[in-house]
Amino acid sequence: MSEWQPRILAILCNWCSYAGADLAGVSRMQYPPSIRVVRVPCSGRVDPLFILKSLQSGFDGVLVSGCHPGDCHYISGNYVARRKFAVLKPLLEFIGVEPGRVQFSWISAGEGDRFAKVVTRITEDVRELGPATRLVKKL
Amino acid sequence: MTEATGTPFVLNTDKGLETSLRGFLRQLLESGNIGALILPLKVPSGDSFAWIMLNDAGMIDDAVPFPATMPVQGAKALRSLTRKERGELTVMALMRPCEIRAGIELSKLGQVNTENLILATYDCAGAVPLQSYVSDPAAAEKNFKEFFITGEPDQNAKPICASCTDFSMVDSDIHFGYFGVREKGMLVIPGTVRGTDLLKKMDLQTASGSELLPVWKAEVEKLTEKRSSVRKIVFKKTEKDISGFTGMLNVFENCIGCHNCQSVCPVCYCRLCYFGSEASRTNPEAMVNEAVKRGGISLPPDRIMFHTGRLAHMSLSCVSCGQCTDACPVSIPVADVFSFVAEQTQHTFEYKAGRNDGKPLPLRDFKKSELPGVHKLVKDAEPGGTSHE
Repeated sequence: MSEWQPRILAILCNWCSYAGADLAGVSRMQYPPSIRVVRVPCSGRVDPLFILKSLQSGFDGVLVSGCHPGDCHYISGNYVARRKFAVLKPLLEFIGVEPGRVQFSWISAGEGDRFAKVVTRITEDVRELGPATRLVKKL
Repeated sequence: MTEATGTPFVLNTDKGLETSLRGFLRQLLESGNIGALILPLKVPSGDSFAWIMLNDAGMIDDAVPFPATMPVQGAKALRSLTRKERGELTVMALMRPCEIRAGIELSKLGQVNTENLILATYDCAGAVPLQSYVSDPAAAEKNFKEFFITGEPDQNAKPICASCTDFSMVDSDIHFGYFGVREKGMLVIPGTVRGTDLLKKMDLQTASGSELLPVWKAEVEKLTEKRSSVRKIVFKKTEKDISGFTGMLNVFENCIGCHNCQSVCPVCYCRLCYFGSEASRTNPEAMVNEAVKRGGISLPPDRIMFHTGRLAHMSLSCVSCGQCTDACPVSIPVADVFSFVAEQTQHTFEYKAGRNDGKPLPLRDFKKSELPGVHKLVKDAEPGGTSHE
């Protein structure tokens, strides 16, 4: 049987990372079939609850990706997103969600190869960690 | 503790702190400089307090300026008053420092309008938990008197009070200070330009407090130090208790999902909450699949997520008032967890909730270059973005 494939939710900004994923696709770049993409208008739209909810609903990992600093279509959405993640990330780690499971990245519309690499990287990380079982208490 | 903006006055305390404060408030109301006062009054049954906005100086005799417990967080009273545009009259609210801090926090969110509001605080010795007050008001009053005199919250006070370091002058317009000087008098300290103006207009014919001010200050600093050391111990314990996922589960395992902690929280500002909305409902088939995949899941599923979500949302504005612990029917130390997490998250942005220091809410603000670690992938260097391999 083939290797276990984690399920990772990729929340991508419409203006950059989503187009980056598109470019990776049309350029026929290879990356693991582990991600399920949700397109958002801006990474600033991503509420901490989205991430908690995806972990709770059984995703093994979450990738959130937005525009590089200075490139936001809405001027400052990604800066605000960065602040939100800066609150959520340590909190998740503190309550025992491994750092590799939830990751953030900047990917522009032209960086198809970077998109493929980021997805490969996070898939490897999550595969190493195994399926998410942390939201269940082992009795 | 913030600094005084003008010369403080001294009120005579021969007849006790309460009487002297009532006298001052009556004088203030009669002078016409304020239109109404918001104060706690004992409810007729005698087992709780209610916020009353009064204009009749005669009612001040029934007011309890230093209530033993804290049923409704004062910021909630302020919110109900000033959520829309300001009124014509100036209103003064006399509240505990944590209530005023929550009010200031809400004013940054546009949910309290402080334009026509004079915020007054007093040295807070702590409060008795609401449940012990309701079950035996007389005993609770007696217990309260004990730590009200020392200024050191004991085992009869709300647990969070012993580790509170913002118990004296916060960013209020007027502060009533008595720690360390109660025998000699009560200081009326202006904390803002507005406070100074108001005191000037009142033209108090009382002694200047410049002599007592350093005595009071030294006492407050001494108490702050004591409480800081308690704070360190409490935080260490909380950190140990909640770290790791089992820790969080152990602390919240008795949570019955009543969401009381949320509804009493003064800074939980959304009018419609995700938790409780249709969107938070779970898909039954997905839940069954999860149970099969993981071996077992707990139901209802939103327990830990509710608390983690609230920590992610609210901890930046948490003023550590302890209402959540008070409201918890199963005695979970919610406030300890929030207070501990709040200190960390607020520290990330060098922010302190409840201060009127011109700093906007952290999530309404950003710097172009900050927080470099957030967007780094966990392992190795960043994957390159330009070369096509």
